Amino acid sequence: MTESTITRPWLRAEGLTRRFRNGRGVGPVSLGVGPGEVQALVGPNGSGKTTLLRCLATRTRPSSGQLAWFGSTDRQEARRRLAVVFDATAHADELSARENLSFFATARRVDPDLWEPALEEAAVTELADDPVTRLSYGMRRRVLLAESLVGDPPLLLLDEPTLGLDVNGCRWLAAALRARAEAGFATCLSTNDTDFVEEVATRVCFLMDGRPIRNAPLAELLAELGGTREIQLTYRGPSPAARVSQIRGVERAVDAEAGLLILGRHRDGLLSEVLATLGDLDANLVDLKVRDPGLADCFLRLTGKALHD
Amino acid sequence: MTDRGEVSLPRSRRAAPGVSRRRPVHLWQLELKGTLARRRALAIKLAFPLILVIPLVTAGAPPFFAGMLLTVLIATIGTVGTGVTVTRSRGSGWLDRLAVLPLPPWRVGLEIFFASWLVDSLQGSLVLAVIALAERPDPATLVTTWMMALAALAFSGALGLGIAALTDHAGEAMLYLAVILAPLLFLSGLFTGVPATGFRFWMAQVLPYSYLHEGFQLLLGGNPPYGEPLSFLVAAVVFLALAVAAAAALGGAVLARAA
Repeated sequence: MTESTITRPWLRAEGLTRRFRNGRGVGPVSLGVGPGEVQALVGPNGSGKTTLLRCLATRTRPSSGQLAWFGSTDRQEARRRLAVVFDATAHADELSARENLSFFATARRVDPDLWEPALEEAAVTELADDPVTRLSYGMRRRVLLAESLVGDPPLLLLDEPTLGLDVNGCRWLAAALRARAEAGFATCLSTNDTDFVEEVATRVCFLMDGRPIRNAPLAELLAELGGTREIQLTYRGPSPAARVSQIRGVERAVDAEAGLLILGRHRDGLLSEVLATLGDLDANLVDLKVRDPGLADCFLRLTGKALHD
Repeated sequence: MTDRGEVSLPRSRRAAPGVSRRRPVHLWQLELKGTLARRRALAIKLAFPLILVIPLVTAGAPPFFAGMLLTVLIATIGTVGTGVTVTRSRGSGWLDRLAVLPLPPWRVGLEIFFASWLVDSLQGSLVLAVIALAERPDPATLVTTWMMALAALAFSGALGLGIAALTDHAGEAMLYLAVILAPLLFLSGLFTGVPATGFRFWMAQVLPYSYLHEGFQLLLGGNPPYGEPLSFLVAAVVFLALAVAAAAALGGAVLARAA
């Protein structure tokens, strides 16, 4: 696997594995996250993203391999310089967002002058005195993110960061992560929200069935898709996936949640041939979308499987 | 990062001063404030021991049996208060969040234990207050038994923390609690009295519930064989210290579970 170009990253994993009693788990994974980088861990459900992130976040001890934070293997020391958001929105529920934030910020030794701006940036100031339990799920996620972003921790680890966020919330978070990267802070996030990853990530590590498939800069992955198109067909009738796969220029054709997902080299006549195949099989076309490919197509190309089944 | 392995970090963004700092900044403050904010649950929590102690005292129940029930009550309050709460906290993901903070595990264990013990002590103190009002006991016995009750609550709280290190389910924690507490209460002489010699005599000397049982008997007009207020005081200090040390030691195990 290609490693980060930064030779001495703040977060480094070497041959890291974490196995559960049932044999499932993640690894071996080697990766590094350096200052100014946003490393995304992308994969379908059950691919091992969260397990890997929990190891990187000092929460779970790996079964084998090495982990170092800021050049040290001391987990307690690492916790002084990192902040983590897990997928659960656990708070002291009866207390307000302000009270919760003050606790987490104090534990991380964040200057109290930064507490209020963190709530303002997360747009939760108006509700910041209400008990967290009365906030909507999305607002609780915002509070959770504000608690982790406050004080600009050098290393931030986020599990499914866009979970529950509305469009504005995603924009705010993307801007915050980009600002962190520009300021030289490091972030590692696990998600299968590829649109968000394309907005914020500098590197992407694809995972599947607990194994890393590819770890490369985002720009490099997207460049490899140059000249291809993603065609989404919604149809009724027999699956045309096998027949469509044989059409010249089609790299992948798989049935996914949205219908038939086709990744192919752009050329005149490609779409006509796909539609003709559909007609041959007596399948009815319900909807058709053609768009420039993205990270999800990169995953499809690498694995032959749709990221969102 | 420099060649020597030192890390140079970017500066945090700054903001204007003037932020209120009167908010819970320690875990025990946060836990305690959270418990006090759940008013209905708190009212039930405080009413629960009163429902037991008031009829016992007003009906003039035999001191041995009344003391036994009140000791079981104190032991249950302490173990359930901490054990089930911590198990639920793990289920909600709260312990995950605490585990990745730059707080030493012993301190997390101690602060959770302390917050729980404060609320449990309020419950236990209500029991003693009812007895004090109804029986007008000797002040020295009242104070030393009260201290013994606080120590027994701390011991039970540490026991609850230990149970929380064994399981992820609140229901299972209750089963563990019953399985562990029942023999301890038996060995404390609650059901049969403390024999003059042998294994059970010595076990009763090293368990807080035997001292508390005798204290309650004294307060309720009984005449237990070993009841001595000074011994309650010494035992209270020893069990309190043991409970604090155990809670600190168990912090790591509680956080490590399901990691």
